[in-house]
Order: sequence, then C-alpha cells, then structure tokens
Amino acid sequence: MTTAVGNLSIAIQRRFGRQRLRKIILGSIPFAVMITIWHANTVFEWLPPVFIPPIGDVWEAIFFLQEDCAGFVALVMLDNSCLITTHVFSSIGRVILAAIVGLPLGIAFGILCGMSRTLSKFLEPVGVFANSISGIAWIPLAIVWFGVGWVTTLFIMLNTIFWLMFFNSMLGVRSVAKVYEESVLTMGGSRWDVIKQVYLPGAMPSIITGMRMSMGFGWRALIAAEMIGGDSGLGFMIFTSAAEFKIEEVFLGVIFISIIFMATDKYLLAPLEKWTVERWGLVWRPT
Amino acid sequence: MNSMTPKLVVEGLTHYYPDEYTGESVHALEDINLELYEGELVSVVGPSGCGKSTLLNILAGLLPYKIGTASVDGNVIHGPGPDRGVVFQEHAILPWRTVAKNIGHGLEIRKVPQAEREKRVQEFIDLVGLTGFEDKFPHELSGGMKQRCQVARTLCSDPVVMLMDEPFAAVDAQTRITLQEELNRIAMATHKTILFITHSVEEAAFLADRCLVFSARPGRLKEIVEIGIPREQRNWTNMNDNAIFIAARDRILASVREEVSIAVEE
Repeated sequence: MTTAVGNLSIAIQRRFGRQRLRKIILGSIPFAVMITIWHANTVFEWLPPVFIPPIGDVWEAIFFLQEDCAGFVALVMLDNSCLITTHVFSSIGRVILAAIVGLPLGIAFGILCGMSRTLSKFLEPVGVFANSISGIAWIPLAIVWFGVGWVTTLFIMLNTIFWLMFFNSMLGVRSVAKVYEESVLTMGGSRWDVIKQVYLPGAMPSIITGMRMSMGFGWRALIAAEMIGGDSGLGFMIFTSAAEFKIEEVFLGVIFISIIFMATDKYLLAPLEKWTVERWGLVWRPT
Repeated sequence: MNSMTPKLVVEGLTHYYPDEYTGESVHALEDINLELYEGELVSVVGPSGCGKSTLLNILAGLLPYKIGTASVDGNVIHGPGPDRGVVFQEHAILPWRTVAKNIGHGLEIRKVPQAEREKRVQEFIDLVGLTGFEDKFPHELSGGMKQRCQVARTLCSDPVVMLMDEPFAAVDAQTRITLQEELNRIAMATHKTILFITHSVEEAAFLADRCLVFSARPGRLKEIVEIGIPREQRNWTNMNDNAIFIAARDRILASVREEVSIAVEE
C-alpha cells in the first residue's frame, strides 16, 4: 500500500516536475484556506447567506443565469438569454479590442519618445498629467460624451492601457545600451533597422512589464467602467446583481474576473516573457 | 606595399568636443595624419585620454568632425557605413540574437540571400572557433567567446577596414593571450586592414606591423614604431625571446611612459 502511494507520488513528480509541483502546491494553499473558511461559514452559520452565500449556490448560479439560453447560435450571438456567457464574452471582447488598439499604440509612441528627446519633452508632461488621473475618474465625463455602452468602456480602458504602455516602452528604450545601436549603424543599418532590431527587443523587459501592468489595471478599470457606464459585461452583472441582492451572482462575477485575468497572465503574458527576455538572458531568474 | 593606394587616409584631423559636465571645449586630437595600407595591422597606443577612442569613433562615423579629412577607399567619411567594421570594447553583440544570427547580421541588413548568408556565417563561425555554438544566445557564452563572436560579425560583413577599440580589455589575462594569438592567425588568414586601439603596449607590439604612439592630450602622432616580424612567427611561446619584439616593446613603452608622466604632471 505504502509503495503504491510512493510510486504514485514519484509518477506525479515525474509528470509535472518537482519544482513545478512545489510551486503549484504552495500557490494553492491560500486558496484552499479561503475555500475552507468559506465553507465553514456555511456549516457553522457565522454570517448569514445574504452576506456570504454557500459555495453550492454560487455554482448553481451559473446554470440559473444560463437557463434561458436558446442554444449555440444564441450563445455565440451574445443573446441576452444566455446571461453569464454574454457577460463573460463581452468583457473579454472589450479587453481584446482595447489591447489590440492600445498596446501597439502605446509601444509605438513610447519607442519614438524613447528615441527622441524633443518628442519626449513634448509628450511626457501630457503623459504625467494623464497618468495622475485614475482611469475610472474619466467615467462620468465619458458617459456624457459617449453615453452608456461599449464606447465608454473602451475609452476608459484605452486611457489606462495607452499611458502605462507608453511610459514603460519609453523607459525601456532609454535603458538599451548605446553600443547595440552603434553596432547596427556601423553595419550599415538604417534608423528603421535600429528600431526593429535594437529598440524593440531591447525594451522588451519593460514592454512586458508594461503589458502586465496595463492589462491588470485595464481589466480593473473595465470592471469599474462596466458597473457605471456599461450595459453588459461582468462589472455590469456584479453591479445589477448586488442591487437585487443576488449575492451569489456577485460572488460568481468576482470569481470569473480573477480566473480570466489569471489565465491571461499565465497563458499569454508569462509565455511571452519566457520566449523573449528569459531566453535572451535579460532578466534575473530566481534559482 | 607603399606602391598601392592606402585603404584608410586621415589628413590634418583636429578635433574639439564640449566637456560633458563643464561644457568647456576639450582639445582631443591635433593634426592627425595617417595611412593604412591593405593587409596592414596598425595599433594605436597612448596614455588615457589621449584621444585614441575619439579617433576611432570619428573613423567609425559615430562622431562628426569638422577639421581635416578622413576617407576609406577614397570615400570621405560622413557617418557610419558598412565599409568600416567596428569591434567594440563592450559586449556589443545583440543579446536577442543567436551567435549565427549575430554574425550574419551585417549580411541580413544588406539583404544577402539566406543560402549565401548561411554559408558565409558558417565559414566565420569556424574561423573564430565557435563551431557548435551557432544557436546559443550571447548570455550562454563566456566573455572571450562573446568577443570572438563580435570579431566574426565584423569580418563576415567584409569591411574595407576593421576598427578595433580595445576589444580584449574586458576579458581575463589568459583569454586575452589566446585572443591575441587568434587575431594574429585571423589577420594572416583574411589579410584584413586593421586599426587596433589598445592601452596595452605588449598587445600593440605583439599584433602590429606598425605601432602609432599618441601624445598626451591633445593627441598628436608622436612616434611610429615598425615591428617587422612575420605573422607566422608571432606567438606567445617564442615572442618573449624575439629581439625585434623586445626592442619594439621597450621603445613603445618608453615613449608612452614619457607621455603618461606629462599627463600626470598636468
């Protein structure tokens, strides 16, 4: 019996790798504690379900919200009958749209300002000004300008994403050793070659940090924007459910938000980091 | 040799630059005249701050100059260009490119077809002894290997003149000796025209056909020492018994020390 357990443990370690397994287990402990306390609350009735709903209720809320869904077509068309998927997809859709527009723009302007002192003198003060205003402070004004809906939420997100990306890329370019630029120029490279082959990869550590930050802050800003200025999305769902005291739906929304963000970081940003800066030896790696 | 037209010509080059902190004009170079002929390895030595790196930066096209002329193959130098390859003191190969892609970088910029590029790259990888490291990234290489990679990168672009700015100053003593012997072998094999800046008198005497001694600031061409030792005879096992080498080294050393004491007194 003991050998069977031992063999299983070795097999698991081989499958996942000792270090990775350690990381997964250590990282799961806080969540396990949280879930245990949550469940204990239901069992021992410390706080009533109207404050903290049972885990089962939150789970069932998924199916309840999705109950009226008229099938696959309605689901894909973000029909209001498929409530939960509509909210999830519309939030994700906005994040993707804002990322597609905001990240490249921020990187492009950041690189240009990192290269040119004149241009950075011109744009930096505006950037500091814009950065001082938290993204969500724009919500009231954005509602006046664009009304309630996706334009407002996109505007709020772009405001957050663009400036963070801009500053990080600019600092990244400025930190690139001059000798790399000089070596490309002495091999007959053009300004454009220098941008592509030196500034962009050289600023990568900063750019990735900027992406992480702007996606994190952008996602938060989106939820806030959806609460006040949105007509769908997870933020909107949380806000309307709270107003109707459907506390299990609020919990569900919060859980979805964190799962989606954790997945973005783990499956998009972390691999990008591994594939670029870690492979190039540009980051300090914990041993 | 002198019947040929020189590859690199510098005439009456004088240079001033503003000091970074005080803004005062610093007189770096005074009336430099020199000629480099094909296949020649010329070293430049002098006390710190004598303007030898300034000269190299001007020749590389990285520093604009106003007084005098500098030309390569008859073309006056305006800005950087592939006719002059530079080997920098720091590790200048790009960390985000593999060894092979770094070495082929110059050819890639000139849009040489991939098949030809790969053939040339392999040739120079083999020449500098980096075979087997083609797909490694620079952070996986030792300091000496990084500099070999840089030398290969410069050679692979096939410049008219190769400018080397204290390329072995940042590696350990053992590696430096090996790299000096390898550069001698490479100079023999490729017959490149090389201007080699260094502050090591031994290195200058070991490698150069001619050694230019610069005066303390403002840098003037103080003395030219000819070192007539055939390349095949240059290696560290017997160089220390070579009378020509010893004489040249002592001559250069005395000349430089004179200048260093002037620089210290100032």
